[in-house]
Amino acid sequence: MDNNSPQKAIIVVATVAFIASLLVSSAVVILRPIQLDNQLLERSRNVMQLSGLLTDGETPTDDEMLRLFRELDARIIEVDAADFSDEHDPNTFDQRRAVNNPERGIDIPPASDQANLGRRSRFVTTYLVWEDDKIKRIILPVRGTGMWSMLYGFVALESDLNTIAAATFFEHTETPGLGDQITRPVWLAQWRGRKIYGGDASPRFAVSSGSVAEGSNIAQYEVDGLTGASITGDAVTNLIHYWFGMHGYQPFLDKLRDKPPARPEQDS
Amino acid sequence: MNIREILYTPLLKENPVTLHVLGICAALAITNSVTSSLIMSLATTIVLVISNATISLIRNHLPGSVRIIVQITIIASAVTVIDQCMQAFVPELARTLSVYIGMIVTNCIVLGRAEACAMKNGVTHSILDAIGNGVGYSIVLVSVSIIRELLGNGSLMGYEILALTRDGGWFEPNEMMLLSPSAFFIIGFMIWGVRTWLPEQVEQADFKPLPLQQAEKI
Repeated sequence: MDNNSPQKAIIVVATVAFIASLLVSSAVVILRPIQLDNQLLERSRNVMQLSGLLTDGETPTDDEMLRLFRELDARIIEVDAADFSDEHDPNTFDQRRAVNNPERGIDIPPASDQANLGRRSRFVTTYLVWEDDKIKRIILPVRGTGMWSMLYGFVALESDLNTIAAATFFEHTETPGLGDQITRPVWLAQWRGRKIYGGDASPRFAVSSGSVAEGSNIAQYEVDGLTGASITGDAVTNLIHYWFGMHGYQPFLDKLRDKPPARPEQDS
Repeated sequence: MNIREILYTPLLKENPVTLHVLGICAALAITNSVTSSLIMSLATTIVLVISNATISLIRNHLPGSVRIIVQITIIASAVTVIDQCMQAFVPELARTLSVYIGMIVTNCIVLGRAEACAMKNGVTHSILDAIGNGVGYSIVLVSVSIIRELLGNGSLMGYEILALTRDGGWFEPNEMMLLSPSAFFIIGFMIWGVRTWLPEQVEQADFKPLPLQQAEKI
């Protein structure tokens, strides 16, 4: 057939498009389970790191990590009711899907939407770390809109429910080298010991615009700014202000401080 | 051309970046870390080989009117498959490079080699040409990233080389090196260097400026 005839053009384009779509869709479908496993493993690594249960310098194998992760006391919080909820199973509940679900998600009023989320899930999965009969750490999920992407992370609070024990960001697509400094261990290590609330009604914690000298009066609440990534830094401040504000976890944390929950029965 | 010539010419003599000034977008974006540059180089080279091989294979059946569409379809599919594989098998690396793997589609070198080489030559020749250009591109990417990461962060591949003042060392990092414009300067200096060494690469001026007196009359 003549290479310049319209029929030939249509046949070639259709064939190439068909083969290409076949390749792309089969790659996506075949690799999906592996990608999901990776995500779960990554999630458990992040949560376990924040739990303080891993000894320094020791990295358990992947299976060991998943086992430890499953042993954590995972619970669902109904954010707006400021209480734990039994409505969903914490091991299977998908917070991200819930956001756009008409019943499981809610719109955030623009005035309180510091993190530019639009909507959020009414329920979130949290992880409690126990020491004897007291909460040692509570690990709470946070997210917010950064420069290019949604930043997903966890913040672990000490037993006073105010001091940050550790924090991590496990998913984002910020600029490599600039915005992705939010995953730098050196920077995240600074979060440790900083306080979320400073006596005001709203959270005090912030990513500073410069560097924070240890011992200065802001050092209690602020961490160093990120070079060349002030928008991502501000986004981090905003997401902490949202999630630990009145529309986020603040009512729940206040309640938890007054009425600590009981440790679940250990089945051994 | 013999094998050696096809492989080696794109390294320096006809380097896609320094001679053709192609693929600058990615060269600006990801060269602030050596690790990202290495992965990006590898991914781009693989895409180049796949696209050049496929396009060369079907080149005699490609109608001129739709050839660019077909080429882009092939390139985009190759990139998507590689992106998916990376997310499955090397999730950490995929996370570091985020959006930039997907953006290999828009890398002019890939389409440029498809048009300039794969459409006119056999499969073996096209594959060798793809490897040559991929490596030529990698050389530039990695050299730029070595300069940027060392001066901007005092490290190479994340390992500290120069102790930074903020960690109690002596080296004050040049933070501009972490921002994209610095790659413009570095690549500019590289092109200058290569063209001083190989003057035949210097382009003819498009026009001659008029002498001043004449210009004033107009």
